[in-house]
Amino acid sequence: MGAVTPFGWGVDKLWEGARRGIAAIGPFTRFDSTRHRTHLAAQVPPEDHRGEPARRLSLADRFAVASAREAVAAAGLDLPRFREATGVFFGSSAGGMLEAEWFFEAHIERGARHAKRGLVASQQFNGPGDAVARAVGAYGHVETVSSACASGAMAIGAALRALRRGDLDVALAGGSDALCQLTYAGFNALRSVDEVPSRPFRKDRMGLSLGEGAGVLVLETAAHAKRRGATPIAILAGESSTCDAHHMTAPHPDGVGASDAIRLALADASVGPDDVDFVNAHGTGTPLNDAAEAAALKAVFGDRTHSIPVTSTKSLIGHLLGSAGAVEGVCTVLGLARREVHPMPDTGERDPELGLDVVLGRPRALSRAACAISTSLAFGGANAVLVFTRAEAA
Amino acid sequence: MRAVVITGLGVIGPQGVGRVPLQDALLAGRPLASPIDRSEGYHAAESSRLAALVPTLDLTRWLPPSEARRMSVPSRFAVAAARMALADAGIESLGDRRVAVVLASAFGALLFTEKLIHQILVDGPESAQPFYFSECVANAAAGRVAIALGARGANVTITQREAGPLLALARAAQEVSEGRADLAVAGSTDEVTPLLHAMLDRFRGTARAGMGREEAARPFDASRDGVLAGEGASVVVIEAEDAAAARGAPAIARIAATAAAFDPTAGVSDWGDGAAPLARALERALARAGCDVTTIDRVVSGASGARRGDRVEAATLAAAWGGEPLPPVLTPKGVVGEFGGGLLASAVVATEGAAFGRLASFGSRDPELAVAPHDGRPLPVPRRVLVSSLAAGGAAAWAVLERP
Repeated sequence: MGAVTPFGWGVDKLWEGARRGIAAIGPFTRFDSTRHRTHLAAQVPPEDHRGEPARRLSLADRFAVASAREAVAAAGLDLPRFREATGVFFGSSAGGMLEAEWFFEAHIERGARHAKRGLVASQQFNGPGDAVARAVGAYGHVETVSSACASGAMAIGAALRALRRGDLDVALAGGSDALCQLTYAGFNALRSVDEVPSRPFRKDRMGLSLGEGAGVLVLETAAHAKRRGATPIAILAGESSTCDAHHMTAPHPDGVGASDAIRLALADASVGPDDVDFVNAHGTGTPLNDAAEAAALKAVFGDRTHSIPVTSTKSLIGHLLGSAGAVEGVCTVLGLARREVHPMPDTGERDPELGLDVVLGRPRALSRAACAISTSLAFGGANAVLVFTRAEAA
Repeated sequence: MRAVVITGLGVIGPQGVGRVPLQDALLAGRPLASPIDRSEGYHAAESSRLAALVPTLDLTRWLPPSEARRMSVPSRFAVAAARMALADAGIESLGDRRVAVVLASAFGALLFTEKLIHQILVDGPESAQPFYFSECVANAAAGRVAIALGARGANVTITQREAGPLLALARAAQEVSEGRADLAVAGSTDEVTPLLHAMLDRFRGTARAGMGREEAARPFDASRDGVLAGEGASVVVIEAEDAAAARGAPAIARIAATAAAFDPTAGVSDWGDGAAPLARALERALARAGCDVTTIDRVVSGASGARRGDRVEAATLAAAWGGEPLPPVLTPKGVVGEFGGGLLASAVVATEGAAFGRLASFGSRDPELAVAPHDGRPLPVPRRVLVSSLAAGGAAAWAVLERP
């Protein structure tokens, strides 16, 4: 696995920060927020190692490529040997929008001819995924999913399908997005952004915080991993996507699309609701999302709901949009592998109406860490759920 | 794995609404080009001037104005084309079917995106309109289609430029063949704005006039110098073959195979020269689906007049056929333009047996390419059609459509 997050460059920094339970959400410099309604975000710190040459790569592309390189190195994968059977499935909601905004600024201030065309070269949703495929030299199926906040999870789900079908032996799956004014002002226009760091599942939650970064998983068929003597970190056991078909920007209040997605993903993984040991929730911190998500969890887990630990990675590093599902997938895998659930910051009182066992302040050790789910619930009513199981269980 | 078929087509493009104007345009072979608005000052003095723009169309049969008012152009195209496709499939009500929606878009709802960025940068972020934001996310069109149809299956938006429509077709076919959906609607939607057009031109992506030639996209032509940027939407209805038969619906085409690959030698927004591995990936996928190239009697190529794009397309086809002569190669992007899903709809009508005329823009074949576009002579109705689309950036996607 690989990750670039507001906690830093690398999976170790992500997990170290997540365990500490202190949010990386604060004042930021990616753009000037003076005229925006809110002034906080979770920004990726500058690289502390030699990165990719920036030429024609957007910031989102660079997050993606760094994460992919880390993931491939960690997997000990000699990719050139397997390039024909290696694909890339990647989520991004904004691609190189940040750089496109610089282009617009130059265009507005100084006229068309002074705006450097290089700024929009990679302003495409497929920028990060293509950059990864190019960097690792993949010859297989490459596909970018841009289904807003569920993009990363959907990309991982699509990779699972391709591996099961036998189209590929190896897939790099994940997502990447950088902060930009478009999404920042857009979520603010919807009054979805909290003025203080987001407090998912808390009584006084007022909205989400935005973040940036990338996450990548190296997925392989079990047979391929075995052949090359690799040790799996976890099993991606199931996935599903559904749609609320209800409203463009609000979830169905009863979470029917989400509960449907959880049930289908569990069935796809051949596990039942009783097998789930923790939930890495979508947990944006908006009043509507968290209520709908709690309703969905209750519909699936019934009386067990109050005793399943629930956490939201977004409470620590903000909402990473197209890469949220990917980075949260990384955190779900780490939770299973290390038998603990990372906490959310201990700020604000739990919302008793939600009836969830939310993990606050310090990591929760698990007596059983066999199975976990990660949920992503997006704009347009699109839902995606991933089911991971412990590697030894396979 | 259930066999899956296309049972309906909805199409909106520069040629108009529905199948008949498309068939007429493909037979005529003339580019559907009209002048792009250059008044914003985005364009350089020496630049492309034409685009395959959708004229003002009456879509009220498919999209009441009250609904259209709240939608971006790509959302409007997609919802109207989806309803048209269902009507074409003879489906009045979806009942309790689980329906998947898989749409591709190269650039999303650009006009609203530009307006929103303009509001943010010029008028100030506080003036940003929520309506623009919720419609400018790439999956807005797919969300709109889901709401319009009540589609509660997978809802996926694929953004892989020119390869997107065929990747969406493949994903939707899998949703049905692997049993996760009873029915799927798949396709693509895009719009051309003056800014996109100017940007494509600044990267020398679009065709220009010059040296006594008119501005035109010339697929596989020796003097090709860029694409005709286009817009519109194509949507198909996909069902299991037995389910379509059970309701007595005639199938338009069976989706016999799909494939995808990547050419890492391609640069950002450009094509590479990795035809050999692309051809190997195509051959493997065709062999697995039991339809190797000897069984294919028509190619609908995504060749668009792009200098490098058409070269790698031709080299890939030639390598896949291993020196054997290719079947007739149709190049609809010379008529309907690049983006907007024209390739997908053209492939569907080609499989139905629509006649393709000689491309009016075609001058002389490129001696460096082993492929030339179909010369317009009458052809028998094909049995198996290979659809090919290589994207700038390196992605590639193919599909094989066969007559049921």
